[in-house]
Amino acid sequence: MELSDRDLVRRCQAGDMGSFQELVSRYHQKVYMVILGLLHNRDDALEVAQETFFRAYRKIRSFEGGSSFYTWIYRIAVNLAIDAQRRQKRNPLDFRETMDSAVEAQQETARDPFADVHDRELRESLIRAINDLTPEHKAVIVLRTIEGLSYKDIGEILGCSEGTVMSRLHYARKKLQDRLSAFL
Amino acid sequence: MRDCESIRESIGRWLDGELDTAESEAISAHLASCGECKKAQRQLETMQQTLKTTLLTEAQKVEFLPFWRGVQVRLARKTAWYEHPLARARETFTLSRAAWLVPASIAVVLAVLSLESYIPGWREGRNSFANVESIDAYGRNVALLRENESKTTVIWLYEDQEGENESADESAKSAPAF
Repeated sequence: MELSDRDLVRRCQAGDMGSFQELVSRYHQKVYMVILGLLHNRDDALEVAQETFFRAYRKIRSFEGGSSFYTWIYRIAVNLAIDAQRRQKRNPLDFRETMDSAVEAQQETARDPFADVHDRELRESLIRAINDLTPEHKAVIVLRTIEGLSYKDIGEILGCSEGTVMSRLHYARKKLQDRLSAFL
Repeated sequence: MRDCESIRESIGRWLDGELDTAESEAISAHLASCGECKKAQRQLETMQQTLKTTLLTEAQKVEFLPFWRGVQVRLARKTAWYEHPLARARETFTLSRAAWLVPASIAVVLAVLSLESYIPGWREGRNSFANVESIDAYGRNVALLRENESKTTVIWLYEDQEGENESADESAKSAPAF
């Protein structure tokens, strides 16, 4: 029988590293997706995703189970990704490298025979348009898109109200629709 | 009957399942009969699907074992200081990390020494003693001292403690013992 996240967290709090490994195995790709959606650079996203689980392990004893494990881990991931993004913006050289890397990533994805994307131009424009959003707007779009999280969960992750999530989502979608009107 | 503008404002929340049943049904009915609003709905769906597919394709390339190894390396490298204080101290104060301490210490010492020339008298403020350069004359209960900074001569009148003590001792000796 598969253990629930809560059971794994409890075992992990008792020092069972195997349970933590199971949690990482369940969430590493989702956490990576959220971070990649915010940073648009695979290497940075991988670094931040690993750092996310490292921080989670260090803080796991203080996790009381008031929220679900996935909202907790996403909160750590989003905060670290937003910090990383601010560091990128403070350092123009790093930022340029990030952009180059993101373009390479898109080209590679386009050559990937398993990629199920409608249109390369649309994808590239979408990535560019999302990259121009503020970290807060980007975060709501990514969290909603990837996991289909409820406004309540997104609000819990980002530390804001459901109303704020709703207005941020509306603004971000409108902005993206305007930018991509030629491709949609 | 809601107009297209207000329907399009709500399409996002409708797609997200965040509307109540009545509102949701109203949107569905409108979309079934309005081509423009249906187009707006499809645009939103395409956008979300494209982003999800792009990120999912990338995420599927991240294999678990190398990822887990990366987490393990971090766990081994960055343990909390209170978990292994000695290991943490050893990690923090390695020779290469402490190399900056040498020039930093020299800079601090030089800064303290040169502070005197920028803030005259800052050291005098710390005690009330004048720096005596020389004693020009010395006599009975009088000394002429030359002060270091202001180059002034100070006449110092002092009590001859030694003499007084001696005379006190003498008077004590000569006093009758009871």
